[in-house]
Amino acid sequence: MTALMPSRPDDRQPMIEAIDVSKTFGSVCALDSVTLSAPRGSVLALLGHNGAGKTTLVNILTAMTPLSSGTARVAGFDVATDARKMREVIGLTGQFASVDERLSGRANLVLIARLLGADRKAAKRRADTLLEVFDLTGAAKRLAKTYSGGMRRRLDLAVCLVGSPDVIFLDEPTTGLDPSSRINLWEIVETLVEQGTTVLLTTQYLDEADRLADTIAVLSDGSVVASGTAAQLKGQVGQLSVTVTLEPGHDPVAACVALERAGMAPAIGSDGVTITTPVGASKELATVIRVLDDDGIEAAELAFGEPTLDDVYLALAKKTAHQPA
Amino acid sequence: MTSTLARAQGSATAIRWPGSSLWSQIMILTERSLGALIRDPQIILFGLLQPIVMLFLFTQVFANLGSTPNFPPGISYVDYLVPAVLVDNAVQSSLQSGVGLVEDLKNGVVSRLRSLPIQPASMLVARSLSDLTRGVVQVVVILLLATTMLGYSPGGGFGGMAASLFLALMVGWALGWVFLAFGTWLRRAEPMQNISFIALFPLMFASSAYVPVADLPSWLQVVAQVNPLTYAVDATRAVALGFANTSAVVPAIVICSIITAAGVIFAILGFRRPL
Repeated sequence: MTALMPSRPDDRQPMIEAIDVSKTFGSVCALDSVTLSAPRGSVLALLGHNGAGKTTLVNILTAMTPLSSGTARVAGFDVATDARKMREVIGLTGQFASVDERLSGRANLVLIARLLGADRKAAKRRADTLLEVFDLTGAAKRLAKTYSGGMRRRLDLAVCLVGSPDVIFLDEPTTGLDPSSRINLWEIVETLVEQGTTVLLTTQYLDEADRLADTIAVLSDGSVVASGTAAQLKGQVGQLSVTVTLEPGHDPVAACVALERAGMAPAIGSDGVTITTPVGASKELATVIRVLDDDGIEAAELAFGEPTLDDVYLALAKKTAHQPA
Repeated sequence: MTSTLARAQGSATAIRWPGSSLWSQIMILTERSLGALIRDPQIILFGLLQPIVMLFLFTQVFANLGSTPNFPPGISYVDYLVPAVLVDNAVQSSLQSGVGLVEDLKNGVVSRLRSLPIQPASMLVARSLSDLTRGVVQVVVILLLATTMLGYSPGGGFGGMAASLFLALMVGWALGWVFLAFGTWLRRAEPMQNISFIALFPLMFASSAYVPVADLPSWLQVVAQVNPLTYAVDATRAVALGFANTSAVVPAIVICSIITAAGVIFAILGFRRPL
């Protein structure tokens, strides 16, 4: 696979690179010494809640907002000094940039191609190719405002690909999409990455980062609080858990004792009838059932919990709090 | 789908264009705004609503003004009013330039365009040019209605009408840049609508637009004399009516040029601020 990839002189140079990037708005520190990088043909996911600094970081990397200190390079171009050259090789989607609702899908694509320097004919050819690729040919002449959520997302991505960018910035690409559109979009992104496109995506969903990203950076209050592969992060911060709701009349304390005996670390929920215990693997669900059954404790309901972004945050907050000052 | 995508995006077929000149950027973006206007002509219709209502209402309500002592002798009220309506149309529709820009800022279109290797100022110039085109359409509609339905026939004849059209558009162009500047700094439509309603609407009345300045209460006469709109209206009216005394024309052009220049500078400065 690697041998088949065209070798380029700058293959080893990161396509997205932020070194000690900070941004302050007045007295508010929006980004604090953020360092991250992504090699060509990889996906870097920024994970974080609203206000964590994802958008600010993307705005800096796309030269929409100047940085306060540090260095940022995209496709080898310094965003502070070479923004114009950098803009020739990037594409933006989502809240970072949007389609023109008052134009048809095709007109949106033609507009961007012409601004990039294509003549009318070449622009129309490029538009038709992309419309076909993104399954929008039937809706090509309709105004973008009449598009469904999934169609809009596809048009948005198509518009961002008009100039064959080396680096694309995807803003929460699947938020609000139905499951099949979501998978469809993931497949498109995966194909682009296979072709050597470097992707930075922001998301609130761990499963999306899990599926697409080579590296995940978790942003919280303007800092990267953790980064690594999905597996590394899950091992580091989140874990699977089982939540048991007991039948009425059964003692939650006794259930805890039983689970502790099996080497688990259960905790009684605030409602007094549920118990949550972290488990190492999904097969431990069976252990929970067996342990409780052995002690004659009846569970009314068992729920299996995947680690969520909240778990990641909670775990990271705990870790930060325990760090010596 | 994936194989087609590979074809579209693959490095062998990767498409890179040379970029576009500032002039073509302006033309392409003007075409975009005009295209949206043609598909959705509501903006033109709503823009025309107020001037047309004024035209028909005032010619009825103030018809007798033509016989008051301060009124220029031998001139009908319609001939007196129409040039002011042209200026009013320019004033009212200039707000739309700022509102249109704020819409593009809000819905992410500006971000998209700014992510491209183009001159950001081309977006402002394009917006201004497309609004100028809209202004021409609106002014022509008003002139057609006034001549065919209200018997507008000013002393300046066709040449006077053309010159008044030109002056009214100049006022609209200048104020359009002012609202573009407001748009780039405020980035919200509501404060601009307030400015338009609280400042421009009363300023039209506190000018020579609808009644001769001498007929205004004395305190309003003071306002009217320093009101730039008085110069705009006087100049537009003077050329339309074919007055020999066109001394208001030069100050009007000078004021418009100064306002336009200030608007351009502040709009570009405001547009440079990070999103």
